[in-house]
Amino acid sequence: MHREVGRPPMNARGRNIRLTAGLLTGAVGLMLGVALYSPSLYRMFCEATGYEGTPKTQNVARSRYTAADAVTVRFDANVNSALPWRFHPAQRSVRVRLGEETLVHYTAVNQSDQPVTGTATFNVIPEKAAPYFSKIECFCFTEQTLAPGQEVSMPVVFYVDPALADDVNARDATTITLSYTFHRAEGGTAQQGSAPRIAVAPTAASGG
Amino acid sequence: MAYGAAAAHGEHHDHHPTGWKRWVYSTNHKDIGTMYIVLSLIAALVGGLMSWYIRLELAEPGLQHITDTQFYNVLVTAHGFIMVFFVVMPAMIGGFGNWFVPLMIGAPDMAFPRMNNISFWLTAAGFVLLMLSAVVGDGPGTGWTVYPPLSSVAFHPGPSVDFGILALHVAGAGSILGAINLIVTIFNMRAPGMTMHRMPLFVWSILVTAFLLVLALPVLAGALTMLLTDRNFGTHFYEVAGGGDPLLWQHLFWFFGHPEVYIIILPAFGIISQIVSTFSKKPVFGYLGMAYAMVAIGVVGFVVWAHHMYTSGITVNSRAYFTVATLIIAVPTGIKIFSWLATMWGGSIEFKVPMMYAIGFIWLFVLGGVTGVVLANAGIDFALHDTYYVVAHFHYVMAIAAIFAMFAAWYYWIGKMAGKQYPEGMAKLQFWVFFIGVNVLFFPQHFLGLAGMPRRIPDYPDVYAGWNMVSSVGAAITAVGTLMFFLVMFYTYRAGRPVSVANPWGEGATTLEWTVPSPAPFHTHEEMPVIAGGAHGHGGHGHGQMRPAE
Repeated sequence: MHREVGRPPMNARGRNIRLTAGLLTGAVGLMLGVALYSPSLYRMFCEATGYEGTPKTQNVARSRYTAADAVTVRFDANVNSALPWRFHPAQRSVRVRLGEETLVHYTAVNQSDQPVTGTATFNVIPEKAAPYFSKIECFCFTEQTLAPGQEVSMPVVFYVDPALADDVNARDATTITLSYTFHRAEGGTAQQGSAPRIAVAPTAASGG
Repeated sequence: MAYGAAAAHGEHHDHHPTGWKRWVYSTNHKDIGTMYIVLSLIAALVGGLMSWYIRLELAEPGLQHITDTQFYNVLVTAHGFIMVFFVVMPAMIGGFGNWFVPLMIGAPDMAFPRMNNISFWLTAAGFVLLMLSAVVGDGPGTGWTVYPPLSSVAFHPGPSVDFGILALHVAGAGSILGAINLIVTIFNMRAPGMTMHRMPLFVWSILVTAFLLVLALPVLAGALTMLLTDRNFGTHFYEVAGGGDPLLWQHLFWFFGHPEVYIIILPAFGIISQIVSTFSKKPVFGYLGMAYAMVAIGVVGFVVWAHHMYTSGITVNSRAYFTVATLIIAVPTGIKIFSWLATMWGGSIEFKVPMMYAIGFIWLFVLGGVTGVVLANAGIDFALHDTYYVVAHFHYVMAIAAIFAMFAAWYYWIGKMAGKQYPEGMAKLQFWVFFIGVNVLFFPQHFLGLAGMPRRIPDYPDVYAGWNMVSSVGAAITAVGTLMFFLVMFYTYRAGRPVSVANPWGEGATTLEWTVPSPAPFHTHEEMPVIAGGAHGHGGHGHGQMRPAE
């Protein structure tokens, strides 16, 4: 019924119809592609901006150690109910000067009678301080397998960027909480963040 | 003219497939439009029955009629999905869009008639899948927003959410194909002289809507696919334990979801513009402003999504931006309201039922828009988020307003579609019952929301009892109004006065669909009409048709 499209005066229109349809199909493909790529884009965005309390992970500390100001960093530990571990920070809080590299430890104990693999997520509260909270060494997103009853000490090395004191929106954050949550790792193929993988030094079972 | 010798096509006029083949294999834009409208009517009954069941439970405190709270959640979810994807979208875009876009631009049919067929049947299949999702396992009790972790395997282990995802995939594919078809048709199939700036506003509204569909629905498809693999194949896109983030879903969903609400309301804008112009017997005031206001609403609609996520922990700067961006939408919508009123101003207004529904639409849309301006403010939204205030807001501005536009369109065009005119008196009564019903139903929900009543909960403290009862009485009145609509429709088809003229509405109805016989024959515009006249000369928007300036 619509064979008229093939007639000579219709050819230009036929081409235009195909072109429009092709461009629109391309637009659909583009939007679908961006949506499917969005997890990576989203992670990049969060790491670049500290959005949603994503702390920055650095390989080397910056040497800008000038500020006399100090903040209190508190440590929080949570365990998902599916993971039979005990997990707590070795110290409740520390007082650190801005820019000062600090080493702290968390302790995890497998309370079950079989090996269990866990993986941790983390965030920083208040969120506005997150861009200034840099971790040089941490156990975020690395999978830990603990033998039955095994206890490990997990180091975290961090510093708070002195630029915090210059940010009018964030400098009232004098207490910063670093929070970890351990989940049971599923199948060992968990998505890895771009955080560096740090081997955890197991300590003697009597350690604390 | 450009469409070739009529003699070669004359034989097609009364020659078309009959019986079930006419419908199942249809490539005719009018038949497919009719099927969309029938699908929408069926879905509206299902979705409506669900909402009345919900209101029955909410009439009194305590759990009386729906004691299974998961089932309550399933009802809320299915009601939302059905009304959005299988009532409003099929009726407005697939139904009236299919019927009247080719008629209004002087095209013989859509650009891809067979793709039109598959669009419809994908939508119908999506509806069947969605209904199936409610009866497998515990049903999806996720709300139409399907937020993980509630929608993850941990909380919805059965296959029902997967069925729901599949339903949306299938219906979404149908909508995308339909949208591409509409855009290609509007860009390439216009009759000679029908420039973009002479197109009727309904065509403009469908054009903008189709673009929103093309850009927004693939994002939903991507987000749903990731949810599906999270649920079934061990990925962790939204799973915190694996390094994913459930907030990613919210961002993706609302990047689709906010344009989606404009997809619902923009065709309504187009319909209301045609009707207000027709029954005021004046061209639309500020035609170009009206067209580009819709374009502006479509564009801005893509950059306001996080106003649905103020309480999700986004930063204060983000909240400030999204508040301002959201408030900006009040400008183009304000242009539209102003121009409708200015069209009526000084017009010779005839209060036929389509016009009554159009004015009812303006009332509902303005009221819902005002509460939208309230909710756009992040500070206020912290108190009102997920309360009945939000429920009242979006039912006014989007849901009931869209239903009013659909009723208006049905009354306006039924003479052209069926060749029978609706009974005016019965229809007026139906309007008043429905209008009073929906206002009694939804207005008290503002009070409930301000008092803190949360949405999606089947029970509530006694303090909310009074207005909930009023709201449920309103639901009962609305049910009567709905029943009356079906009676009016039945009467129209059985005993409606035949429409003998091409244009039953008189001088105000200037668009091309009123130049073809009533009911519109199977094939129309086989001879392409030529649209003459000055700037904006056609379609009742033209300067050429305005009275001489003073």
